[in-house]
Amino acid sequence: MEYVLKNGIVYDPANKVAGEKKDVMFKDGKIVDSVSADAKVLDVTDKIVMPAGIDPHAHVAGPKLVVGRIYRPEDSRKGVTHKTDVIRSESGFSIPSCPSTGYKYSRMGYGTVVEAAVPPLEAKHTHEEINAIPNLDIVPLSLFGNNWFVLQYAKNNQIEDLAAFVAAWLRLVKCYGVKIVNPCGSEAWGWGMNVHGLDDPAPYWDVTGREVVTALAKAKEMLGMPHSVHVHPNDLGHPGNYPTTVSTMEAIKDIEKNSTVRGQTMHLTHAQFHAYGGTSWRDADSGADYIADYVNKNDHITIDVGQVTLDETTTMTADAPMEFDLYKLSGLKWANKDVELETAAGIVPVIYSGKAPVNSLQWAIGLELFLKVNDPWKVCLTTDHPNAGPFIRYPRIISWLMSNERRQEMMDNREVHPWSHRRTSLASLEREYDFNEIATITRAAPAKIYGFQDRGALTPGYNADIAVFDINPNEIDPSRNPEAIEKGFGSAMYTIKDGEILVKDGEIVKVVQSHTLWTNVKGMEEKEKSVMERVMPDFTKYYTVKFENYKVFDNYLPNPIVTEVEASK
Amino acid sequence: MLNLKTITFNQKKTSPISLEFDELIPDEVYSWEKEDFEKYMVPIGNSRFPLTDYFDIEVEGSAESPEEIKMILNGDYGRVKYIGTKMSAGEIIVNGPVDLHCGSQMKGGSILVNGDAESYAGREMEGGSLTIMGNTREFCGCSYIGDWRGMNGGTITIHGNAGKQLGECLSGGSIYVKGDCDILAGIHMTKGFIQIDGDVTRWPGGQMKNGDIVINGELGRLLEGFVQEEIVENPEIDGKDFSGKYIKYTGDIALNGKGRLWLDAEKNRHLLY
Repeated sequence: MEYVLKNGIVYDPANKVAGEKKDVMFKDGKIVDSVSADAKVLDVTDKIVMPAGIDPHAHVAGPKLVVGRIYRPEDSRKGVTHKTDVIRSESGFSIPSCPSTGYKYSRMGYGTVVEAAVPPLEAKHTHEEINAIPNLDIVPLSLFGNNWFVLQYAKNNQIEDLAAFVAAWLRLVKCYGVKIVNPCGSEAWGWGMNVHGLDDPAPYWDVTGREVVTALAKAKEMLGMPHSVHVHPNDLGHPGNYPTTVSTMEAIKDIEKNSTVRGQTMHLTHAQFHAYGGTSWRDADSGADYIADYVNKNDHITIDVGQVTLDETTTMTADAPMEFDLYKLSGLKWANKDVELETAAGIVPVIYSGKAPVNSLQWAIGLELFLKVNDPWKVCLTTDHPNAGPFIRYPRIISWLMSNERRQEMMDNREVHPWSHRRTSLASLEREYDFNEIATITRAAPAKIYGFQDRGALTPGYNADIAVFDINPNEIDPSRNPEAIEKGFGSAMYTIKDGEILVKDGEIVKVVQSHTLWTNVKGMEEKEKSVMERVMPDFTKYYTVKFENYKVFDNYLPNPIVTEVEASK
Repeated sequence: MLNLKTITFNQKKTSPISLEFDELIPDEVYSWEKEDFEKYMVPIGNSRFPLTDYFDIEVEGSAESPEEIKMILNGDYGRVKYIGTKMSAGEIIVNGPVDLHCGSQMKGGSILVNGDAESYAGREMEGGSLTIMGNTREFCGCSYIGDWRGMNGGTITIHGNAGKQLGECLSGGSIYVKGDCDILAGIHMTKGFIQIDGDVTRWPGGQMKNGDIVINGELGRLLEGFVQEEIVENPEIDGKDFSGKYIKYTGDIALNGKGRLWLDAEKNRHLLY
């Protein structure tokens, strides 16, 4: 089937198309240069046309979500809808049901979402849940930062063994890349402790976060993977944590990049939670300057923000000691999820309120990061869904980024507490994003950071993943019309995935099965074999499951998209 | 109370699967005429059926706003859920028993049940008054499952007995039980007032942080987290005057709670030391 999207205003930053009126053509699921006269014409005159959105960091599938849904029925009851002829019934606000997650992303013009924390032991379950999310391609990242085998290799500086271990394990659990969460801290949680800073060793291990991060970064570059290490540093959410964040970025500065498809050697995630100054919540202030300054001066770092949206949400992370601290602060209910040799997660509901000084400070720090990182290719739009807010608020964040007037208004009329401007420099930042920069932080930059070669741009041969929004960029003044921007980006006129129209005028018109992306590293088979032989005795001794039941079989991925990588020594 | 329009439901038959009445509240139906009710399809399970299959409806007078509405429901409403849910004004009188969630999330107006009420009566109530002349069952005046924010306003009066977990997560408003009450009244409560005139089996106020619970009958067993403070004569509790001697407890100390539990001293001599 051939289609022409006619007369749209196209924003395709990867191809340096910034608001040109042109036609976008696709055929049999791929973008093409030309189509025949029989092509079906979709008139999108003066509407915004972009590649479909890519969310570089969210939590949409896995055991944490399930625990969250089980213990927060009061969240599930929000947004309950009836089934229609096309879609199933929906439920949930901050942790929507699996189908609802797919529909909601799809309605916002998104096509690909990264599930950023898959504990290998729970990978089977995560893949089952991914299969229940329609209309999206899911990119799972596996957790390695507190894995006992990784700690051992990092301690002994056995980088080649570690690389073979990572390659073998990614194939076992069918994940795309390596995620590190509070390295050594979640392991310390097994003893009821946390680590403080990058150089505080995990108890009984005598290995530090610095060693783990650098070892994994080296291993990943040795493998030449499409995505770099994806790091959630230590001390998340603690006042005065920005030095830890900066030293985490510095720790791998000298590691050489071994990939042509991406620019960075470390992606620092939800940077907002890692950009606090001060010594306690009484004197906390913004450390966004230090983070943004480092990112601006160094090319080996990219970040996503984790913008606070001022909603009631559910925090969930494989940083269990931090969640315990949060539980102590909020006094709300807390769930703990320990994953044996691999990690530990916690879940706590949080109400981010504009009346609360701390939440308003977090809100402002997130926006500061967006506005202070000069190159939009280095920063991505996320809320660390659902931790800083649900992903359905992306359009609202876009409206804040595009309108200084709206930001000032929120501070002036006390929609946010005065800490938002007294303790940050947000009030002095006049920068406003344009549509091309929005397309960069929601599409092009995430695609580059993940080394995608089939999406995130409207290049001929790429997947026909396209979003059309009912906004005329030549007429609207985003600065004056934040509501119209939010509405426009919240309800896509068309969402097209692999050449199929899934959303029309904000309504789901078709439901398709998702794809799962994973990375298959080749060229280390011998090394992998010897590593597995040495791992097995400990695996048998310490895991509660048999190795035979641990592996994710191929039938768990009915629609895989495999990125083949040739490891280089 | 001003009533300009009276809507009367006379039951024709009952349904084994419960009907849902959350759309039939004064806020929604104040302008409805008889024909509107006859057109209305009432939710039953996962379908809808004509309301007139089950009720004869009479409408008298006219109303400009929900305050002017009086709804009289005659018959057995033991399989009718969500009566008065989310109503903010007007009056509903049920001459018979009601099913789950009667008066849940109500914001104002009044509901009178001349019969028994099933569980979850007055769940998450914000205002208004709910009076149950018979007994009610579990989770009266509670929160939604999983939520820590329960009923925060209004008044529930139960002339009969109440079931387990009365006023769970109560954070405002008042609950009066004229009869007896089962375990864990006021569990997790943070604010508000509960008065039970009859006997209580055991464990009132588990994990309460604040608020007042008054028990005028005999208490079977107290939780360990409550500390006996003193005996107070004619206390003033939550702005109301009480006569007689009361044993005052503070708890639940397991949560560093500052809640107050008042037991009639005469009836609870066995707990004194």
